[in-house]
Amino acid sequence: MTLLKEVAAELIGMFFGDARLAFALLLLIAVSAALIELSGLDPLVGGTVLALGCPVLLIANLRREKRAIAPIKRSAA
Amino acid sequence: MLIWSTAAPAIGAAFLASVVEVVEAFTIVLAAATLRGWRPAALGTGAALALLASAILLLGPLLNQVPLHALQFAIGVLLLLMGMSWLRKACLRSAGVIPLHDEDAIFAAETAQLDGAARRHDARLDWIAGMTALKGVLLEGLEVVFIVIAVGAGGGLLLPASLGALLACALVLVVGMFVHRPLSRVPENTLKFGVGVMLSAFGVFWTGEGLGLDWPGQDLALLLFVAIFLGAGLAGTAIARSAAMEVAR
Repeated sequence: MTLLKEVAAELIGMFFGDARLAFALLLLIAVSAALIELSGLDPLVGGTVLALGCPVLLIANLRREKRAIAPIKRSAA
Repeated sequence: MLIWSTAAPAIGAAFLASVVEVVEAFTIVLAAATLRGWRPAALGTGAALALLASAILLLGPLLNQVPLHALQFAIGVLLLLMGMSWLRKACLRSAGVIPLHDEDAIFAAETAQLDGAARRHDARLDWIAGMTALKGVLLEGLEVVFIVIAVGAGGGLLLPASLGALLACALVLVVGMFVHRPLSRVPENTLKFGVGVMLSAFGVFWTGEGLGLDWPGQDLALLLFVAIFLGAGLAGTAIARSAAMEVAR
């Protein structure tokens, strides 16, 4: 039972290591899919949103980490 | 017929990702073997490999039943989630925000844990060592299996991707047999960064294909995605590093 729990935790951790980033990605994929399937625009518009949106989300997530570190400095000072 | 320009990225991604995972599994198996000999460690490893093989044999045929576009989309989304997670963690480790993965420290911790268990239940120690090896290989192996399926199944490249993973296993085993200690000099974070870039690039590619998109340049679009994620990873690392350096000052 413990082994099964650990396998399940490993599988969840593989994809949702950082929940905020994971949910932002799922939202971006949903928006891209809607642009490709429903908007009537050139499908490449949706593809471009996906291809450029992912790196933007990564950088935004790391910037957020930076802001999370800053209070450590203030409290240490 | 195998086209190398298509197969090489799948082989490369599966090989590099598998090296990272197999090195981690090797450390745990080595800790079990050092304390109780190779027999329980080998039995645990064998049992884990048998479980993984059973999972592949059971789930493999199901993949053929899934429509290609749905399979590509599902794999693309999972690859994006996994690749971006690896890339984020590699950026944070590279920037010094979170500590690097240390195989020597993990080996010491596993050995100490098994040693503690030895004092409490001496008679069951072979069983505990075997289970430790089984768990380590099973958990790390799951990631290898997923990566092989993910980079291979969407484009009919399961065999080349499996070849990449097998080469990684063989390489780690051969090197491990010679050095007989944790492989702490493998540049694990650099590999993880590179694999994160490749998995994310594959993720965008397959998600788009799954949605019916024809990327301009076909497979060559992958190179553009690799460049985009590489740039984002390097920029993200620089941002996180500047924060870590401010804290250090």
